[in-house]
Amino acid sequence: MKTENAIELVDVTKKFDEATAVSRFSVEIKKGEFFSLLGPSGCGKTTTLRMIAGLEIPTEGQILLEDNDVSSTPAYRRSVNTVFQDYALFPHMTVQKNIYFPLKMKKIPLSEARPRIERVLRLVNMEGFGKRLPQQLSGGQRQRIALARSLVNEPAALLLDEPLGALDFKLRVAMQKVLKDIQRNVGITFIYVTHDQTEAMTMSDRIAVMKDGLAHQIATPDEIYNDPATAFVASFIGDMNFIHGTVRENDGKACVLNVNGDTLTARREVNLEKDAEALVCIRTERVQVNPQRSVENKVSVKLTRIVYRGTDYEATCLIGGSELRAVVQAVAWDSSLRVGDTVEVAWSAEDMIVFPREEEKDVIKYSVEAV
Amino acid sequence: MKRRISKPAVFLRGIPIMVWLLALVAIPLVFTFIMSFYTSSGLVIDTTLSLKNYKVFFTDPLYPRILFKSVRLALAISILSIGAAFPLAYMVSFKIRRGRNLLFMLCIIPLWVSYLVRIIAWRTILGNRGVINSVLMAIGIIEEPLTFFLYNQFAIAITLTYICIPFVFIPVYTALEKIPRNLLDAANDLGANEIRTFLNVILPLGLPGLITGFIFSFIIALGDYIIPMQLGGTQGIMFGNLVWSQFGFAFNWPLGAALGFILFAIAVTILGLTSKFGSTEGGFLGE
Repeated sequence: MKTENAIELVDVTKKFDEATAVSRFSVEIKKGEFFSLLGPSGCGKTTTLRMIAGLEIPTEGQILLEDNDVSSTPAYRRSVNTVFQDYALFPHMTVQKNIYFPLKMKKIPLSEARPRIERVLRLVNMEGFGKRLPQQLSGGQRQRIALARSLVNEPAALLLDEPLGALDFKLRVAMQKVLKDIQRNVGITFIYVTHDQTEAMTMSDRIAVMKDGLAHQIATPDEIYNDPATAFVASFIGDMNFIHGTVRENDGKACVLNVNGDTLTARREVNLEKDAEALVCIRTERVQVNPQRSVENKVSVKLTRIVYRGTDYEATCLIGGSELRAVVQAVAWDSSLRVGDTVEVAWSAEDMIVFPREEEKDVIKYSVEAV
Repeated sequence: MKRRISKPAVFLRGIPIMVWLLALVAIPLVFTFIMSFYTSSGLVIDTTLSLKNYKVFFTDPLYPRILFKSVRLALAISILSIGAAFPLAYMVSFKIRRGRNLLFMLCIIPLWVSYLVRIIAWRTILGNRGVINSVLMAIGIIEEPLTFFLYNQFAIAITLTYICIPFVFIPVYTALEKIPRNLLDAANDLGANEIRTFLNVILPLGLPGLITGFIFSFIIALGDYIIPMQLGGTQGIMFGNLVWSQFGFAFNWPLGAALGFILFAIAVTILGLTSKFGSTEGGFLGE
C-alpha cells in the first residue's frame, strides 16, 4: 500500500558493542516534512540520521524509504543525501566537480549535468563560484555548497547533521532562514539533527526529542512546548519551573495538588494516583506577579531576586525548597517591587503540568538561560 | 589576520637554511660538476677543462646501455615497491582498527636492521641452499636447487624492492592518514561504492604521498651499487657500479664525476616530471 511517507522507522535499535545508541525508535516522516531530531549530545540523534543515510546498519528494526525496506541497502544505493556537520567537501575538487560528483556516480555526462549544477548553485545563491576550490570559500559558503551537492540529485530526503553547528550566531540565524526557504522551494523532506532547541522550534514541522537513545516525544513544536510528554522534554525546551507537590485528588480531567501547603489545580490529564509524589511544572513566562484579574492558582511568596533583562524582568521566589521564577514583560512590570516584598504569584490551571516525581532525575537544569 | 613580516626579517630567517643547503647540497654538487670536466692520466688529475669524459659516455655504447638498464630496473623496483606498499598502507590506515600503531611499527621495523644484514639475509633466502630451495626440495617439488633466484636482475629487483617498501609505506600511510574520514562517508552517501570512493577520493588525495614514495624508491634503486654487486652476478653491473668503480678502482675521478652527474641529471629530470604530474591538487585522476 502506498503511503505519503518519505521515511518510516520501525522499532529501530542500534547497539555499539554493549552500548545502546538508539532504542526502539519508530516514526513516520511525511513527504515534504521538515523533521528535526533534537537532544543533548550522545542522545542518539546522529546515529539515527546515519542509519537513515545507510552509513550505519541498525541492529534491529526496519527503515523504509518511500515504502521500500532499505534496512540493509548500502548508503551509495539509497536515494537520500546528507549534509555533514563539517561539510565534507572534497578538497581536491572544485565546487563544480564537488556538485557534479553525485551525478557522475550515476554516470550522467557533464554536459547534461551542467544545467542542473547551475540550478542548485542558483538555489543556494552561489552562482559564479563553480571554479573555486573549497578551501577558498568561507564557512557559510562551504555550507551552501555542501547543501547544493546534496540537493543536485533530488533525493527523496535530505539529511542534515548539525549543519549550522560550526557557524557563528548571526550567520546561523541567517542560514536557518535560507534552509527553511530552500526546503519550501524544493519541497524535499528534510531531516534535521540539532542540539539547539531554538533552531528546532523555529524551523521544524515536527520534532523528535531524544535522550539516551530514546525518543521522549515526537510532536509539533507547539505540542512539545505546551504539552511536553516527559519532564525531560519540559526541561530541555523553553524555560520551566519545577516544584514538588502531592496529589490530593485526580479525576482524569483535573488534578488537585498540595504544594507546600497551598492547594493548586492542573486542568489536564494526569496519570497519578491520590497521594502520589508529583513534579509540578510551570513555564516562567506564564507565571504572573500580582495579577489584575483573578487566576486559579495563587501562592503568596517573598521575592528573593529581581533581574532586569532588557525586554523583561525575571523575579525569583521560593516555594518549599524549590525556586520559582516569573518572567514578566518590562512594560507590565510594577517597578515599585523590591527584593523581600511579599507578592502573589499566580498561573492558570491550564498552564500547570504534572509529572511523577521520579522523572526529576531527567530534568536538565539551566543556571542561566543559554542565549 | 595575517601578520606582516618585513622583508629584511624574512631574509634573516632564511639564512640558516641557505647555509645548510649551500654547505651540504650546492657546493659538493658544484665541485662534482667542475671535476667532471677535468681529465685523469694515470694517478694525476689534469685540471684543464675539457669535454673528454662526456665524450667517453656518448661514444662508448656500454655506458648508455647500462644507464638505460639501471633506469629501467629502478622504475620497475619503484613500481613493485608501490604495488606492495600502497595496499599495505591502505589496509593499515583504513581497514584496521585495533593495533594500528603496532602494525605501523612492524611495517617500518626493517629500517632498524642494518642494510648489509638485510642483503645477506636475502642471499640466504635466494641461494642454492637457501630457504626457498630448501623448502621446495623438502616438499619434493624440485630435485635440484633452482639457480635462477640469485645472481641476476631478479635478485636485485626483489632485494631492492624489499629495501624500498618502508620508504614508500611511510609517505603513503601519512598521506592516507590525513584524509578526513567523513569524506569517505560523503562519497558513500553521494553514490560511490568502495571502489569508486577509492578511485575518486582516496587515490587522488593519497597521490602526494605516492609521488614522494616513488621518488624515494627511485632514488634508492637508481643509485645503489652494493646490492647489484652482492646479488647481481654477471648481470649485476648497474650504472652505480660504474660510477663507483671509477672512484674506487680506476682512480679516474673526473670520469666518475661525469657519470655521476649524468645519473644525477637523469634522476632530476624524471623526478621533476613526476612531481609535476602529481602536484596539481591530485588533479590528474579526478578528470
